[in-house]
Amino acid sequence: MNGHAILYTGVTLAFWSTILIVGICYTIFDLGFRFDVAWFLTETSPFMWANLGIGLAISLSVVGAAWGIYITGSSIIGGGVKAPRIKTKNLVRYVSVTQRIKIYRILVKVFSNSFSGTTPETIGARNYQAGYSMFGAGLTVGFSNLFCGICVGIVGSGAALADAQNPSLFVKILIVEIFGSAIGLFGVIVAILQTSKVKMGD
Amino acid sequence: MASSGSALLRSIPAVSAVLLALAASLDRGSCSEQVPLIMWSSEGIFWPQESPPTAGHIVGQQQLTSYLQKALDVGPRNVVLFLQDKMSMEDFTKYGGVFGNKQDSVFPSLEGALRVAVSPLVLPAVSWPASNAVISQLQDQLETSALYMDPETLSQLRLNASSPALLVFRLPYSAGADLMSTKDILSENDAVIGQVLSIMKTQSVPYTALYTGLQPSGDVVSFSVEAGLGGGRSLLQARGGYRERERERERERERRIRERAGVYPPVEFKEEEKTCILLWAKGLSVSILRSGRWEEHDLTSSTFGEGGNVSLHGSSCDKNKARLVLNYKGILGHRSFKLIFAMSQRHYKVSSRRWFTLDSLELEYDGTKATFNGSRQIYAPVEYSYRCQSVTSYRWPLLVPRSAKDPANQWKVAFEDFQIQGFNLSGSEFSYASDCAGFFSAGIWMGLMTSLLMVLVLTYGLHMIMQLNTMDRFDDPKGPAISVPQTE
Repeated sequence: MNGHAILYTGVTLAFWSTILIVGICYTIFDLGFRFDVAWFLTETSPFMWANLGIGLAISLSVVGAAWGIYITGSSIIGGGVKAPRIKTKNLVRYVSVTQRIKIYRILVKVFSNSFSGTTPETIGARNYQAGYSMFGAGLTVGFSNLFCGICVGIVGSGAALADAQNPSLFVKILIVEIFGSAIGLFGVIVAILQTSKVKMGD
Repeated sequence: MASSGSALLRSIPAVSAVLLALAASLDRGSCSEQVPLIMWSSEGIFWPQESPPTAGHIVGQQQLTSYLQKALDVGPRNVVLFLQDKMSMEDFTKYGGVFGNKQDSVFPSLEGALRVAVSPLVLPAVSWPASNAVISQLQDQLETSALYMDPETLSQLRLNASSPALLVFRLPYSAGADLMSTKDILSENDAVIGQVLSIMKTQSVPYTALYTGLQPSGDVVSFSVEAGLGGGRSLLQARGGYRERERERERERERRIRERAGVYPPVEFKEEEKTCILLWAKGLSVSILRSGRWEEHDLTSSTFGEGGNVSLHGSSCDKNKARLVLNYKGILGHRSFKLIFAMSQRHYKVSSRRWFTLDSLELEYDGTKATFNGSRQIYAPVEYSYRCQSVTSYRWPLLVPRSAKDPANQWKVAFEDFQIQGFNLSGSEFSYASDCAGFFSAGIWMGLMTSLLMVLVLTYGLHMIMQLNTMDRFDDPKGPAISVPQTE
């Protein structure tokens, strides 16, 4: 095994064995009642969840876009050596992928208010719903854009190379790419639905 | 049972554990408020060895009386009492040659007497009101009056083994007119003790000897760890201002409460000889808002400890409900004042476990009832007791007034180091204490979660970057090197 694999297995092993041993200790000493998920969900601040959601939305979308561009870009550069005409046609489409990141504008809109409570009773159910919805929406958009970006990137790389060989193939492969983009679009739609009724405030 | 488990779970590193133990021992205020007491009898007389007190246990008035009674029943009834003005354990540790320097000890006669005595009784910590009253106690038990003596008068006295006698030798402690050091004073006292004991020996009358002090000496440096009280920061903070004074008063109050020894049994309610409800707190105070000011009344001494004379009339307990009523008189101008703890237990389906809650804490006075709700935060599994360091209605409140118009809004209740149990009691001791504070706080969990996420992301990125390699597919080590021409 190379160095990376050893490191990752070591860390994973340490993490899971800690969890296992803590769990066993809780069970043996009949302290299982102290493992309180409800306490965790009500005591952690909805602000944290909402902001994590926004952060994950942006960052995962960007990772997807970047990965896609990286894959396609290397193919375009390689193919462009012998067939320079493929450059312009293929690069344009990657702007559209990053449009997905515009979702953040919608998420930030619901965040213009904040609440002033400190205990679960004073914070109120609506703020908790806002926090968790935004976390979920962020995850939705983030992961769907991540995989959409990778998908479009790989298909685009194939498209560029095919186009270099035979210009008539470009339009046909474009259709496949559109299906790939649709994945990201679904994610955006679902996230908008999740945050549609959300409003933070007192 | 589970307390050892929780100790395991709280895997405090060793250094902080030592510091904690040190702080705990110092913070008890132990060494500066108690007086040691040493009792022995003349050689050859054996008296039954009492089970020695556990370390840190402070012997109160009643316990001391029982010790003296047992000793005087069996042992000789001629008592020689060496009463020093002030005495503390530190005097023995500082001047007793205990650090391997036996030759520097200022107590040679005392040590000699204890060595020869068959079973001396050493009580390292007697509460000083008790030691102050030791003369009167001995007088009561021996039914004779004390004779204050010094070695000269003793040699002229003829003692009788059959009739009891109480001979008191007062020994000084603080520096007299000639400003002698403590060491010299103690050395002189020890010489007096030696003289007296040798005179008693020549008289060949069996005797019981006691060496104790009237008050703790407080001579030694007793520092209390002021961690967390902000004592060290006051130099940097700007002084003055009403808020500052309020905070300081609060801190002072807290410090006073914290320094209490707090060694007393819990308030116990028995139903048909079986203990049903237990309540313990280190501090209990109620305050009422009158004409814009809070008036406080400390109820600790009337509820707990030796002065506790609170009546539990009206308390009841059955299988599902427990109700503890503390009846006071004359609190804050109210003739009758009751503190009612209402607890209930039932089975909860989701956790499939029985839990008990402190449903409400009621203050009943002159017909008015102020109710604090506690069921939200004060709960524990029914087999265990509930314990919390601070149960108040104003500072991180665990007790909230039942409604916005409830009279409880005019009251403040504060418990320090609160522990309660209303069900499943076997004996008169608390079961395992389910503490209100968990291992990690909410903030720690949030930080851990976010940090874990960041670390995962970082790991992923690092992994990807580290597996990028330069292209070496078309490398040809034997071919010509690439040349970059300088000109266009």
